[in-house]
Amino acid sequence: MGYRDVAKVGLGGPVGSGKTALVKRLVPELVDEGYDVGVIANDIMTQEDADVFRESFADLLPEDLVEGVETGACPHTGIREDPSMNLAAIDEFTERHPDLDVVLIESGGDNLAATFNPELADYFLFVISVAEGEDIPRKRGPGVTQADLLVVNKTDLAPHVDADLDVIEADAGEVRGDDPFVFTNCKDGSGVGSVLEHVEREVLFV
Amino acid sequence: MSTDPQSFLTALRLSDSFLPVGGYTASYGLEQYLNEDRIEDGDDLQALLAAYLRRVVGPCETVALANAHGASTAADLETLLAVDERLHAVTMPQEFRESSTKAGAKLCELLGETAAESGPEGGTDLESAFADTVASDDTPGHYPVVFGVVAERRGLSRLEACLAHAYSFITGLLGAAQRLGRFGHTEIQSVLEALGPTIAETCERHVDDEVTAMASFAPLAEIMGMRHERAGRRLFMS
Ligand SMILES: Nc1nc2c(ncn2[C@@H]2O[C@H](COP(=O)(O)OP(=O)(O)OP(=O)(O)O)[C@@H](O)[C@H]2O)c(=O)[nH]1
Ligand SMILES: [Mg+2]
Repeated sequence: MGYRDVAKVGLGGPVGSGKTALVKRLVPELVDEGYDVGVIANDIMTQEDADVFRESFADLLPEDLVEGVETGACPHTGIREDPSMNLAAIDEFTERHPDLDVVLIESGGDNLAATFNPELADYFLFVISVAEGEDIPRKRGPGVTQADLLVVNKTDLAPHVDADLDVIEADAGEVRGDDPFVFTNCKDGSGVGSVLEHVEREVLFV
Repeated sequence: MSTDPQSFLTALRLSDSFLPVGGYTASYGLEQYLNEDRIEDGDDLQALLAAYLRRVVGPCETVALANAHGASTAADLETLLAVDERLHAVTMPQEFRESSTKAGAKLCELLGETAAESGPEGGTDLESAFADTVASDDTPGHYPVVFGVVAERRGLSRLEACLAHAYSFITGLLGAAQRLGRFGHTEIQSVLEALGPTIAETCERHVDDEVTAMASFAPLAEIMGMRHERAGRRLFMS
């Protein structure tokens, strides 16, 4: 057993876009469907952050399936050029839990250029927030264009930040061509079901 | 090949992406190949980089570097300037020239500043004369030319200098490819390993070429480099 034997889902995106919020929404759903899930948080500032995950998943996941990986202040490098420490953490997961089905890897908050190494993530979600500006999709960052699924989060905030969801939708459609994107609101959970469907279909082959 | 430990360390230093001369901002047209979906996988990437080696790095940059190295040994500023001018003339896309001259200027500056601190040694007169000419914009100061001088002054043989440069050119482009496309780290390392013999062959073939032999024939790469100027997506300077 090793990292090659488990489905790996990467979540990248700018600081504060809602990656952690989405992981917190996805994990209970996946556990509910009977999957054995592991979670890795990258570029934590202290182990406290990993503890936050451990706490919120206390009733859902074994403690040793939640891990923090420090990336030496280089969040890009840890998920792209040299993912070896993340892969090592996944290897430890699979050693301890040979039945593990899927690992969610949250990247450190970054800019629009961060993409996941295909050996680290079989499927890669890029999470942006409408509050970062409605022009984010049309900037064509590699994260936005190359992700398997683009997640546009915090739709509830659109009216407060003068972001037009129709503009975002049109731009996202244009820059992504046939590749999918979904709108989510992690506060009330809307759209999360659609993210889950994509993940299950594409990596868990449901 | 030299076994002098200090020269060996210099070779490592000059070929390391840790060297702060902005190498990470250049893709020499590779971004445009990816923008136009001309590279799908590691095999495509390997074939493209092998072509860069055979048609650009070898016949242009390695020839320039080797002749700059020779001019440095002979302390011949005039020849050095002629090498620089010729490399400028044979490098077609404007952005290739800019990436190369910006990095060249930075390498001059950096080594000028750090060497000054490490002791007042003679023998770097040519290096500082060339650096002054670059700083006053009287010569373009292309990276391979500066590289040839600083490598020679620090004891690298001509072939070692060419190898260190060609290797760092390739790792620079592999890094760019990894940031732009979806290549795994193992795949990138396999491509690098597979290109090893081509790097060595290319340098050996051109290390003794005369400066008048300097020429490139890479029309598609040059067109990609030129189209990149107006590309919809530009994460790299070239
Ligand atoms: N209104 C609203 N707030 C949200 C939503 N999703 C997340 N938030 C809030 O946005 C803030 C940042 O969310 P996180 O999930 O921590 O963002 P992150 O992407 O993990 O941030 P980093 O890991 O620091 O890059 C928190 O205060 C969340 O409660 C949403 O859909 N709507
Ligand atoms: Mg987070």
